[in-house]
Amino acid sequence: MDPWYITLIKAFLVSIALLGGFAYLTLIQRKLLGRMQHRYGPNRVGPFGLLQPIADAIKAIFKEDIVVTAADKFVYYLAPFLSISFALVAFGAIPAGPANSLFGFDPWVMDLDIGLLYVFAATSIGVYGIFLGGWASNNKYSLLGSLRSAAQMISYELGLGLSALTVILITGSLNFREIVDFNVWGMHPLLWIPLIIAFITYFISSTAEINNTPFDLPEAEQELVAGYLTEYSSIKWALYMMAEYVNLFTAAAVLSSLFLGGWRGPAFLDQVIPGISQWPLIWLLLKMAMIVFTFIWLQATLPRFRYDQVMRIGWIWLFEIALFAALLTAALIAFVV
Amino acid sequence: MLSFVILAVLLIAGSIGVVSLKQPVHAALSLVASLMTLAIVYISLEAHFLAGIQVIVYAGAIMVLFLFVIMLLNVQEQKENKFAWMKPAAYIVGALTAIGLVANILQSPTPALNAELIDTIIAGGTAEGVAQVLFNQFVLGFQLVGVLLLTGIVGATSLVQRKAEIAKIEEDLANA
Repeated sequence: MDPWYITLIKAFLVSIALLGGFAYLTLIQRKLLGRMQHRYGPNRVGPFGLLQPIADAIKAIFKEDIVVTAADKFVYYLAPFLSISFALVAFGAIPAGPANSLFGFDPWVMDLDIGLLYVFAATSIGVYGIFLGGWASNNKYSLLGSLRSAAQMISYELGLGLSALTVILITGSLNFREIVDFNVWGMHPLLWIPLIIAFITYFISSTAEINNTPFDLPEAEQELVAGYLTEYSSIKWALYMMAEYVNLFTAAAVLSSLFLGGWRGPAFLDQVIPGISQWPLIWLLLKMAMIVFTFIWLQATLPRFRYDQVMRIGWIWLFEIALFAALLTAALIAFVV
Repeated sequence: MLSFVILAVLLIAGSIGVVSLKQPVHAALSLVASLMTLAIVYISLEAHFLAGIQVIVYAGAIMVLFLFVIMLLNVQEQKENKFAWMKPAAYIVGALTAIGLVANILQSPTPALNAELIDTIIAGGTAEGVAQVLFNQFVLGFQLVGVLLLTGIVGATSLVQRKAEIAKIEEDLANA
């Protein structure tokens, strides 16, 4: 257990890292999307376009900040801050390495007993940012976008929670550190069946939860202008974008901690360089990069679902399949293992 | 103790906001704020699991539905108060309840629970501790609440179904 000022410094560093990651993820995303669509993407500002995020940040700050006169001022200002602060807060429970491995410090902000619930709680409050932003803008498109978004996020939270329940049942813990430490090779081989099903449903649900394509209905620009973002400009708009990308990082980190072994590297590499699978940060970042790449890949590949399709997939398919996986796990644990 | 005083003041301020704010969305947000403050009270008592559930269930799900209804029904600020005659009565009843509550507390002061006692009651506040109590000692009550909720869901669904059926019949009549 670290003293409180160490925790504070770590929280600060993680926030800085997430925001820096956001800036460069926009560049990587645009470059990758460009390549997938047979074009170059940004390559004019600085070498390989590396200064593009900084140029974008300066542009966002100096753009005129338009405030809608008919807006509900208090909620209008509150909403983007809710979005970004709870997006940043959610990352705190993710461990990035074994205890005391980062210069003698623990590579996590908080070691919470209820780690997974904590992330769910923070993301469920994050819904308010989008929801209230759309309402406070006093604009039909904004309100429609935010209602859609809230409905979508609540629907897919069920699939998310039930898929995570499979992991909780197998590992017997809500704590990310203990989930990562669970020896998956020592469990009953039949448990792989629900675990793989749960991985697939969790991946789809978290795609919907972070509003990634093909679930990007909240800001479907062809039909809703830009959804809840329509009336936001300048730095408040940038805060929403930050929250979106930080949620992407958090989703990737949770997914890798729950299903892909978190901060652990492949053990066979230990024969080449002893102890490499225990190195902090590197493996988690690699796994997150893989998942984020997949998300961007989806953006370039899939068209958007219709709204009724989104609801049908969420309630009729994902929910039932995830429930089946959780029940199967419970039955296996109770009767077979 | 200091943290509790600060949280209590915030909690009371939030609760007053719920009943006094004119704009329904602001009142609902004030309720969200007090629910979150209550979650922080739980955290300060080391009941982390309860705090997490409080945020997920109340702030994350129930209040979102409240706001949904407020926004979809487009509830507006009330210009004229239809229940003005109720106001003095409400003040009197509220004041009497508050006096009764305070008098009751002053008359029979329960000793403040110490940390050890709280620990044994909530069993460290972990998910396992709560589950031990909930699924052993209170399993009957837990099941009954489950049945109660199921009844509510079935009732709501059947009400909606009937409305949909009536709408269909009316539509058929209009077509015929």
